[in-house]
Amino acid sequence: MNIKHHPTDETLLAYASGTLSQAMELVIATHMTLCPQCREKVAEFEACGGAMLNGTDGLAMNVDALDQVMAMIEQEGANENTIPAPLASPRRVAVAPSMRGNAVPSLPTPLASLLPENILSLEDIPWRTLAPGVKHFPLKSVQTKGSVRLLKIAPGISIPDHGHGGHEMTLLLKGSYIDDVGRFCAGDVADLTDDTDHQPIADTAEDCICLIATDAPLKFNGILPKLLQPFIGM
Amino acid sequence: MNGTATSRRAPANPEDARQYADWIVAIAASRDKAAFARLFAHFGPRVKVYMFRFIGTQEMAEELAQETMMQVWRKAHLFDPQKAAASTWIFTIARNLRIDRLRQRKHIEVDDADPTLIVDETPIADEIVSQSEQAVLVQEALVELPQDQRVVVELSFFEDISHSEIAERLNIPLGTVKSRLRLALGKLRTGLEGVS
Repeated sequence: MNIKHHPTDETLLAYASGTLSQAMELVIATHMTLCPQCREKVAEFEACGGAMLNGTDGLAMNVDALDQVMAMIEQEGANENTIPAPLASPRRVAVAPSMRGNAVPSLPTPLASLLPENILSLEDIPWRTLAPGVKHFPLKSVQTKGSVRLLKIAPGISIPDHGHGGHEMTLLLKGSYIDDVGRFCAGDVADLTDDTDHQPIADTAEDCICLIATDAPLKFNGILPKLLQPFIGM
Repeated sequence: MNGTATSRRAPANPEDARQYADWIVAIAASRDKAAFARLFAHFGPRVKVYMFRFIGTQEMAEELAQETMMQVWRKAHLFDPQKAAASTWIFTIARNLRIDRLRQRKHIEVDDADPTLIVDETPIADEIVSQSEQAVLVQEALVELPQDQRVVVELSFFEDISHSEIAERLNIPLGTVKSRLRLALGKLRTGLEGVS
């Protein structure tokens, strides 16, 4: 996987500090699964969080705080098996070069964990038609003031020119698209805010599948409402 | 508590940082209660201040600080001093507990055992600087930041607000918040790269 477009440092910092919406966290954690470089950056930002924590003066705890916690620990100790056994070393599978095509091999855990259990790959998604050449699958269990969904765009289809009322983040999972910013392939993230205008076009012979999260409250000023409006009268 | 949360006077010390890591390792290895008591004395009040900044009530901040320290005890076997400094690891536990309690959901994270995880094949040069030493360097770099940059970094970590809300709070344009953050993060990162 040859990732060229990454989330901005400010977005990775917000992920590390734990202030992103669940929808944005989902996009970031899925991208990070595919991107060692962003994992490294987030680890550095978490180290900043640790340094900030360590650098505070602190706020005195209750006089009996340690005793209370110790008592709870003693109680747990009485039932030792509540303490988890050390985990076996993580199973790390480097993706063999032959597997590295222009698609995510299977569903990264952060994404899979928020999809219905019967969906094991992008092939299993029960797409719903949104507009000619555009299908979607909303992730309803994710907390956001905006929306989060998988989007499938047929080759040559262009999404109408649009800006972004709020934060919109797109992770490419399969295929590619091209817009004013550049060409986005599997693993790439378009981290767009404010008034970035773009008109993405699926530019290869295969379907383009992406995960799109927005944070804006439903104000119908983003990409999907524009698509939806003429077809379902929203 | 008014003004900034980070103290300029507390000198960061690599010996201390190593000590914290050793205590967590001792808890994992032998359920060392004395080590836990020392770790609690140092980090408990700091986690409480972190929680207080988000919650605003002493009572709940105390409860979540105690619970964070309980998790430090329970999860000590998962701590890897090669991967993170003690302060970093405890920060992530506190952050995740805060999200769990205040937003009633889990912080979405990368699964290290995920078969789709893509690992960097280019071997990283031997880490000359340990995680504990890095933690100290980051802390020093934070203290060195100009006040206007430090404030945006601090608000990013100690308040549950977006960058546009930080802009509103400080009455500066969103672009300025982002450029200050970028400058600050650049300095914090080059500080690390300069030594490794």
